[in-house]
Amino acid sequence: MKKTVDVSIPIGPMHPCWKEPIRLKCETIGERVLRTEVELGYMKKGIERIMRGRPWQEVMFLAERICGICSVIHNMVFIEAMEGISGIAVPPRAAYLRVVVNELDRMESHILANFSYCYTIEHETLAMYLLNVREIVLDQLERITGSRINTAYMIPGGVRFDITEEDAAALLAGLARVEEDVERYTRMFATSYLIALRSRGVGTMTREKAIEAHAVGPTGRASNVPECDLRLQHPTYQKLGFTPVCRTEGDNFARNMVRFDEVMQSISLIRQCIGQLPEGPIRGGGACTAGEITYQGEAPRGELTYYIKSDEYGRIIDITVRTPSIMNIEACTHHMINDVTSVADVTSTFISSDPCVACTER
Amino acid sequence: MSLLQKLKNRVRSKSIHVCFVDVGSCNGCDIEVLACLAPRYDIEQYGIYVHNNPREADILLVMGAVTPQWVDKLVAIWEKIPEPKAAIAIGNCPISGCVYNRRDSYIDPPAAKHIPIAAQVPGCPPRPTEILAAILSLAPTIFENYEEKKR
Amino acid sequence: MTTYLYEKDLRQMKYNILISTRHDLMVREIADRLGVGPNQVRLAMIRRFDMSLLENLPSRYEQGQKMADAGSRVAKELGCELFSRFIPFVEEERMQALCSEVRDMIDTGLPEEEAITTGKRRIREAILQ
Repeated sequence: MKKTVDVSIPIGPMHPCWKEPIRLKCETIGERVLRTEVELGYMKKGIERIMRGRPWQEVMFLAERICGICSVIHNMVFIEAMEGISGIAVPPRAAYLRVVVNELDRMESHILANFSYCYTIEHETLAMYLLNVREIVLDQLERITGSRINTAYMIPGGVRFDITEEDAAALLAGLARVEEDVERYTRMFATSYLIALRSRGVGTMTREKAIEAHAVGPTGRASNVPECDLRLQHPTYQKLGFTPVCRTEGDNFARNMVRFDEVMQSISLIRQCIGQLPEGPIRGGGACTAGEITYQGEAPRGELTYYIKSDEYGRIIDITVRTPSIMNIEACTHHMINDVTSVADVTSTFISSDPCVACTER
Repeated sequence: MSLLQKLKNRVRSKSIHVCFVDVGSCNGCDIEVLACLAPRYDIEQYGIYVHNNPREADILLVMGAVTPQWVDKLVAIWEKIPEPKAAIAIGNCPISGCVYNRRDSYIDPPAAKHIPIAAQVPGCPPRPTEILAAILSLAPTIFENYEEKKR
Repeated sequence: MTTYLYEKDLRQMKYNILISTRHDLMVREIADRLGVGPNQVRLAMIRRFDMSLLENLPSRYEQGQKMADAGSRVAKELGCELFSRFIPFVEEERMQALCSEVRDMIDTGLPEEEAITTGKRRIREAILQ
């Protein structure tokens, strides 16, 4: 069946609103978008090919550099996969510290995603507020790990640095500030007429479509797929009594609100961790050995899967990474954008699914 | 030096329009450039404006090792920027390819092979303050007496 | 002849996506199922799908195996929903026509195995054309 198309509008690879290069070709009738084609290849570095045949000590840093925004979870999933292969146990204190750092990373990623959305719909005031809050979160990350972006905090059998009493107090004080601010910004976002006009009912995705395209993370949870949160299966999160955030609307507004709610949830998770932090060592021993594993973790954007095969010296023979943005970009461009009523909503709908091109292409 | 040139020097040092292009990095550097926009660093107090539009930019921030799709497009973007212009390489990737510069990867570093790079900010990723310092120290020296130098 | 300003030949880049481990496994499974060589499947994919769909194919394939065609055995054998909704090789209307054709054949008294073989051949032709 051939559809009549008025004009094919290319958007990207360089766009004032997007931080990363990707090219969308929207075929339109009048203002309505019929079909969207995605052109990638702007960030294809072939990291999986570089990783093969290298020792885990090197692959650990390469895994972190798959994505700069969610570098902590790439580190965590790779290390936990290697621990699963080699049967290395993690001391309880280290397990809790991992959750603390992971949740801090999730907070900064979600705040950045909401900043991008507000920037795209030209609500620059809220965007700048959010970007400023993100700096406080990054400060806490730097206080614990020593670095802002690529932290390399986790190692097989533990974490690199312990957290002192002072650090914990400063962390909680910082979180109190973030909580106060994010609460206010969430209220601003939820009650603003301008944002409601641009977001509510735009780019809707139903639960069926979300399951078909395997949408994950906040994008899936905004379309009422709560079971896609893999933190439910992580032992440390199970101890903390975690329940995923979920909304039913499935539009741009819901996706952003899910991220705002998850920031608040992360804050309470970190508080719980600091409160229950057991005493003890932060590093155990162990050597990486041969084995094969498929390990999944919940990245800020959704489920992250590592398939790893290693030899007896801990060298990586084969590795495949499936990042959440692959599914989300696909779900976004083939299901959400086709509903939008005007071309002006294409960019904001695309950004609302929190796309990360570096993850997608690796 | 003519009066007009003096005026131009003064104006140019207070109004720097920046455009950034990611040619295949891990986007760690992207978000550090974005962090520069935050009110904490407040780049607009130095007269730096981020538009991300090459046609009105003075300085191009290049991030990332050059991937095959960008080999021709990076040059096209560079040619669209009006004179006087300069390019700054942010992070290790455009300088050397960083961790990606290995056998079997698809990239083609350094960025200096494709466009002239005026300054380099190493780091994986560099801090926002370092990026800011690089822009602020490079822009006046490149744009000073531009018309007289051209002659 | 029309020349495009920014359009590039994407076939090499699409091929690069299809040769990673997970994609390769999936391509081989589909090729076995259809009874053709993996390169023919790759060619059909490169010709039809855009790059983000190509990246997402393994997870779609997994979802499809889990959820598609739960109702009938004939549809499962043919991969009715798998090859139209989850991996969109063939448009849904055409796939429905092909499937109902096979069902009609079974209703008119043709042995089931034979009808499925004919249906599979038709689907293969539709995918590779």
